[in-house]
Amino acid sequence: MVGEEIVTSGSTSCQGCGHAILARLAFKAFGRKTIFTLVPGCIWITLSRNIPLFSTGTVFEGGGALVSGITNGLAARGIEDMNVVAFYGDGGTADIGLQGLSGAAERNENVFWICADNQAYMNTGGQRSGATPKYAQTTTTPASYIRRGKRTKRKNLPFIVAAHDVAYVGTASIAYPSDLVGKIEYAKGLKGFKFLHVQSPCPTGWGFSPSDTIKVARLTVQSGIWPLFEITEGNDFRLTYKPRELKPVGEALGLQRRFRHLTDGESQEIQSRVNGQWKQLLEIDGKRLPY
Amino acid sequence: MIEIRLHGRGGQGAVTASRLLATAAFLEDKHSQSIPMYGTERRGAPVTAFVRIGEKDKMVRSLIHEPDYVVVLDSLLRKTVNITEGLKDDGMLILNSSVPPEEIELLKPYKVATVDATGIALETLGRPITNTAILGAFVKATGEIGLESVIEAVKQQWKGTLGEINVKAVEAAYEATEVGDPKIVAEVVGEKAPAGSRADWRTFRPVVDLEKCTGCRLCWVYCPEHCIEMVDDKSVIDYAYCKGCGICVEECPVGAIEMKSESERGE
Repeated sequence: MVGEEIVTSGSTSCQGCGHAILARLAFKAFGRKTIFTLVPGCIWITLSRNIPLFSTGTVFEGGGALVSGITNGLAARGIEDMNVVAFYGDGGTADIGLQGLSGAAERNENVFWICADNQAYMNTGGQRSGATPKYAQTTTTPASYIRRGKRTKRKNLPFIVAAHDVAYVGTASIAYPSDLVGKIEYAKGLKGFKFLHVQSPCPTGWGFSPSDTIKVARLTVQSGIWPLFEITEGNDFRLTYKPRELKPVGEALGLQRRFRHLTDGESQEIQSRVNGQWKQLLEIDGKRLPY
Repeated sequence: MIEIRLHGRGGQGAVTASRLLATAAFLEDKHSQSIPMYGTERRGAPVTAFVRIGEKDKMVRSLIHEPDYVVVLDSLLRKTVNITEGLKDDGMLILNSSVPPEEIELLKPYKVATVDATGIALETLGRPITNTAILGAFVKATGEIGLESVIEAVKQQWKGTLGEINVKAVEAAYEATEVGDPKIVAEVVGEKAPAGSRADWRTFRPVVDLEKCTGCRLCWVYCPEHCIEMVDDKSVIDYAYCKGCGICVEECPVGAIEMKSESERGE
């Protein structure tokens, strides 16, 4: 874990914030020659002032356009050794920012897009987003005996981006720092659109003790809820973390208050979906995906 | 009409305390309002809430700028937030503090009530959520609201065991509250902290046992605040920036880091 410390102490993020861990590790990997862009969210409000690099922000919808403009502006001026990073949350990537993401990915702009996924609009108090998993309780999808939290599954964002045939797509977790940093260090040298989807547990929004941030992140990876993989140029798929046996999902879900209302049947459903997904991922591991 | 301002930190339940107080007043057939201050309600960040109790035709719907009572849910908050701002001259401060009122330093001769709400909350709830304990202190110190109404409001808020242990917290704080006069000083000397210090966000501080520390750097990697340095291959924590999340304690493979209560350090 070498690299200069870029992010400074003293941010206003919550205790045990996953984004803070992600920001520190990511910017250590990017280094000083980096420009990053922001859309509204926890990163802008709490962390951006503690990242002493040039940054600029815009509305949710403009995230893709802003970062494309910066990279093209730098190219027009002949500056080629700058990392241009879009450091957005799941709202700016999966929901409101999706058309901008799709546009930038389709044009294969030379940017590195990091989606810090805390699976809801946490900055405004935790409203559901397209990245919120099924059955998760948020302020807009409350759980009662009639409504069981969010009714639909989350978007499969890395594969949506991979379908654009971009330079690099990866998933990462803050509990596996060497995997996360390694992916950034490999992909930042590539030309074209790079996308890294990082799960970043939110103690406040998910409802667990601030000390358990890494534990929750690790358990979701070990249970297969958050598989770690990368899709490199030419659509080669590779799992970067392959446990011999997955842990039961109950361990990871049990720590989170947003899943407290789950019945046995519902957690069985999550388990069988995770198992099915993991089987499919193992099948395509090391193979070339169709376009 | 009485006006109350509550100071707390995100996660201690200042907003819930204001709602409970308003509910308790309502149960006594009074008109009441509970007003949370809109702002950053992040876990650990300073939070303000207001309660207004009175007759219907005298009610206004503004924030409270000149309160009769100020309730402080956090023991270290008074070092960074101006808690006496706008407090009426005959006003009273209800503080979460482990020291008696006579040792509290203030500029003006306000009445002061103190209770070790953090200690009571840890004993009864097992977590440093001080909102119900401080309500017991408020009842004892001011007598504006009956103890039964507060207990009823707590029972309406939480059913079952959670309600029972919170009632215990109210009762324990009611017993333990001390009222007195503060020490009057010409100037309150706050702790000198570097810019952006988050030291006062903590309820617990991680302490490294240097004997046990193997220098594996896991705490250094996972610390969200980047406040752990490796000195001679041992973890050293910068307490000016540590928010006390406890990730280092959870992740330490040899159990060399331990959480210790901040109030034990003495105020």
